[in-house]
Amino acid sequence: MRFLDNTNIDFISKRKITYLVSGSLILLSLLSLAIRGLELGIDFIGGTEIAIKFEKPIDIAQVRNDLDAIGLGNIEVKTFGGETGLLIRTELQDMDPELFSRVTGSVTNAIKTAFPGIQFTEVGATVNSVTFQFDSTKTAAGVSTKMFELGFQTSRSENNTVVFSVGIADWIEESLRESMPDNPFVIQKEDQVGPKIGEELKQNSVIAVFLALLVILIYLGFRFKFAFALGAVLAVFHDVLITLGLFSMLYGLIPGLNLEISISIVAAFLTLVGYSINDTVIVFDRIRENLKLHKTANLKDNINGGINRTLSRTMVTSATTLFVVIVLLIFGGDVLRGFAFTLFFGILIGTYSSVFVASPFIYEYATRRKKTIQF
Amino acid sequence: MREFRFRLILILAFVALSLYLLFPTYADLQNTKSIEEEVSLYRQTILTANPEIDDAELVSILTLKEDSIRVSDPTIRENREKRVKLGLDLQGGMYLVMEVNTAKLLEKLVKNPDSEFDALFKEAEAESKLSDENLVSILANKIQGQGKRLSRYFGSLRDDDSDIIARLEEQESDAITRAIEIISNRVNQYGVSEPNIQKQGSRRIIVELPGIAKEEEAKRLLQGSALLEFRMVKESDFTIPIMNRIDEILAGNVDSAVADSSSTDSTDVANMTAEQFALEHPFFSVAIINPQSPFADAFVRETDRDKLTIFLNRPEVQKVIPDNVEFLFSAKPANVQEGENIYRLFLVNRQAELTGGVITDAQANIDPQTTEPIVNMQMDSEGAREWARITGANVQKRCAIILDGGVYSAPTIQQKIPNGSSRISGMEDLNEAKLMEIVLKAGALPAPVDIIEERTVGPSLGQDSISQGFNSTFIGFLLVAIFMIFYYKKAGVVADVALFFTIVFIMGILAGFQATLTMPGIAGIILTIGMAVDANVIIYERIREELTTGKTAKAAIESGFAHSYSAIFDSNITTFFTGIILYQFGSGPIQGFALTLMIGIVCTLFSALVITRVIFDMMAARGSKINIG
Repeated sequence: MRFLDNTNIDFISKRKITYLVSGSLILLSLLSLAIRGLELGIDFIGGTEIAIKFEKPIDIAQVRNDLDAIGLGNIEVKTFGGETGLLIRTELQDMDPELFSRVTGSVTNAIKTAFPGIQFTEVGATVNSVTFQFDSTKTAAGVSTKMFELGFQTSRSENNTVVFSVGIADWIEESLRESMPDNPFVIQKEDQVGPKIGEELKQNSVIAVFLALLVILIYLGFRFKFAFALGAVLAVFHDVLITLGLFSMLYGLIPGLNLEISISIVAAFLTLVGYSINDTVIVFDRIRENLKLHKTANLKDNINGGINRTLSRTMVTSATTLFVVIVLLIFGGDVLRGFAFTLFFGILIGTYSSVFVASPFIYEYATRRKKTIQF
Repeated sequence: MREFRFRLILILAFVALSLYLLFPTYADLQNTKSIEEEVSLYRQTILTANPEIDDAELVSILTLKEDSIRVSDPTIRENREKRVKLGLDLQGGMYLVMEVNTAKLLEKLVKNPDSEFDALFKEAEAESKLSDENLVSILANKIQGQGKRLSRYFGSLRDDDSDIIARLEEQESDAITRAIEIISNRVNQYGVSEPNIQKQGSRRIIVELPGIAKEEEAKRLLQGSALLEFRMVKESDFTIPIMNRIDEILAGNVDSAVADSSSTDSTDVANMTAEQFALEHPFFSVAIINPQSPFADAFVRETDRDKLTIFLNRPEVQKVIPDNVEFLFSAKPANVQEGENIYRLFLVNRQAELTGGVITDAQANIDPQTTEPIVNMQMDSEGAREWARITGANVQKRCAIILDGGVYSAPTIQQKIPNGSSRISGMEDLNEAKLMEIVLKAGALPAPVDIIEERTVGPSLGQDSISQGFNSTFIGFLLVAIFMIFYYKKAGVVADVALFFTIVFIMGILAGFQATLTMPGIAGIILTIGMAVDANVIIYERIREELTTGKTAKAAIESGFAHSYSAIFDSNITTFFTGIILYQFGSGPIQGFALTLMIGIVCTLFSALVITRVIFDMMAARGSKINIG
């Protein structure tokens, strides 16, 4: 079977249309990035994120209401993995000291409910833990085990004391346990990131993307001509910018699709860079071959010829890669959904840009500078 | 056929190598399954025999059973070590990044701080939170900015500023080394399987604890301040009778469950006597005493440690151990026998003679006279006074140096040490002396570390991820394979064969690298499946083109491949570059992704350029029709 066989489309002459398309997409992206910005995950801004799975379906609005009342300020609640899963996020780093007595009081009550009539005293506290003393080592061990089973983070030191963790995550979990006693849950993952790491990560991500572009520029400059290298890098930059723009436009709008920028999204962007450049290089390779073979033909025909001859390949490879990305999008689970989404859109825009941005750029560059490109 | 022989052998060799590398993973999967079955069966028998058994005890007996099965067959262990490991995101566990709190360290090191220093210090601390520069140099700049010399606050008066800065930075990196040692020691004693503790940059430690659910406990394990103690070791005429009593008690009252688990199925006579011995002397069969040695230290195999701990914790055994002493293991293996670590077991006083707070300095050195590695240790005046009394009263006895419950060394006191300046000798090499220095300093200068990143993944999410990843790989492969056959007919089948081998190679190489499979890593494999056929597509399209120009099948294949090389190489090399950058930039899971992506590229190239090619050449040589759809 074949389609797009022996096409003879004059891509270069139609470049003005795609300039308009690309130009408006970039403008839209820049506008959205300036106005709406991006939703950065806790990897970048620091904070706490908990993913939990309940036994029974939950009412997300109810959970939002409940969590508003626990004194941690703005807490985001999203669905995670179907209607029994939740993703709870806060940027807060440290617990408000005023809240502390409320939190420890709640732990005290929980112990008293679990062990009616038990005697104990608070003997110490830090920013995120509280220590209770019990009458014997045995009691302490019993309390520690039982309360851990109930979902508290406990630990033992040598003697008759038990340490309870009372950090932000613990407080959220405890509050949910209290407000929904008939719907138990398990913690699927819990991340806490300090602000310093996020700041470094932000820098490193930008550096990584630009370094990738630079390396590509140098390599292609050697293997092709500078105009080709510049065209390829420009096309990739175009892809990254528009995909970022899409993230900015869509975050929070599609239920079930989490579009916050995390480390794995940055990885997806670098993969997108790799894919897009891969696609562009194959078109360029054919243009280079044409330029070597048909030295007398004009540049326009050579470029058009290169795009047309590789068009079938471009489509087939995009199709097979899209297949697997769609599979990931559907079956890959929540962990990879954002990653797969980035690649899904990235492949579309990457394929588009290698034909409609990178190749016309060479033509534009050569005609404007009145240069002939020869290999 | 002769002209293809070399290439065919090459392909077969790679396939065989991949399968060889993958075999341990497969075997480990099977082993784990059968062990699980055995353990659950065993659980049933215990429960029917003793329905009221304590939960904690049941768990410990079952772990023991599992361990003993795993140890009984060395191939099980070997396969486990060589399997493709799963990342924390797939098997659950904790990932922590810790950083030395330089501010706290400097606060400890500063002498005569005045209010001006405090103000500068606060400023510098605030500034360092927002900058890349380290606190030491920011603070140094600030002090110098006030026209003061650093020696006013640090070091001695004669020191240059640059010397002091260098020394402070050294202290900082020492603190990291110390923190790593303290953490490794504790993690080791806590019994986490396959922990990973590594230094990142100059001030950070990354700790990975697979399968840990108790977050708070793990944090305390990593963050609490270290306890260094000097405790007297009991002499053999005290220890041996106690050990004998324990042995008798255990022999008279051997828990059938534990005895069962230690017996194996083999029936030959040599083993029978060993079993007999184990039955009659359950304690001495796992805690081996050297009768020639003047000391009563028992030697315990690593795999017997848990068992021995359970023995020692039994209430009836606890009764015969005096209240003022306890058994402690050495922190590091004393030696290695038949590939297994052997630990020493000491009986020491519960009461510490001294704690590490009195140590002011420790320095590993080579004794210039004997060229023997030694550690010199200094104490403050109060400590020195105590130390003189202790050493005077205990000459020719051994004093154990214990960090967080692990015995690092038990040197014999040679004479009374009057001024607190002690010399420890008898280390194997300078490395051991350095370790001693680190341990001793852990008492004097705690290394304050902050947890700056913490990620916990529950086991259920990991399970879900594994099955989702597996399903996606399978469906993705199927879709691509069907499409290729549909589009390229017979040549599509060839591409699918190449794709299948590509996946086998990727998995094989991952196993060979001892790489860790993460969820993004699986995504990398899936993505590779989609992109792997690209090289085939390029070649096929080219062959189609060549065929339309009227070339023979053989010539079309020849020039189709030849014309595709530059496109394939240039495109894959640029993608490979981004893979390298991704690997450099990323941490844990992302590196896994980058690695699979890069391995995928290499395997794809091999499959497309060698496997596809040889199949086509063979088809052309046989004169079969080349069908590219």
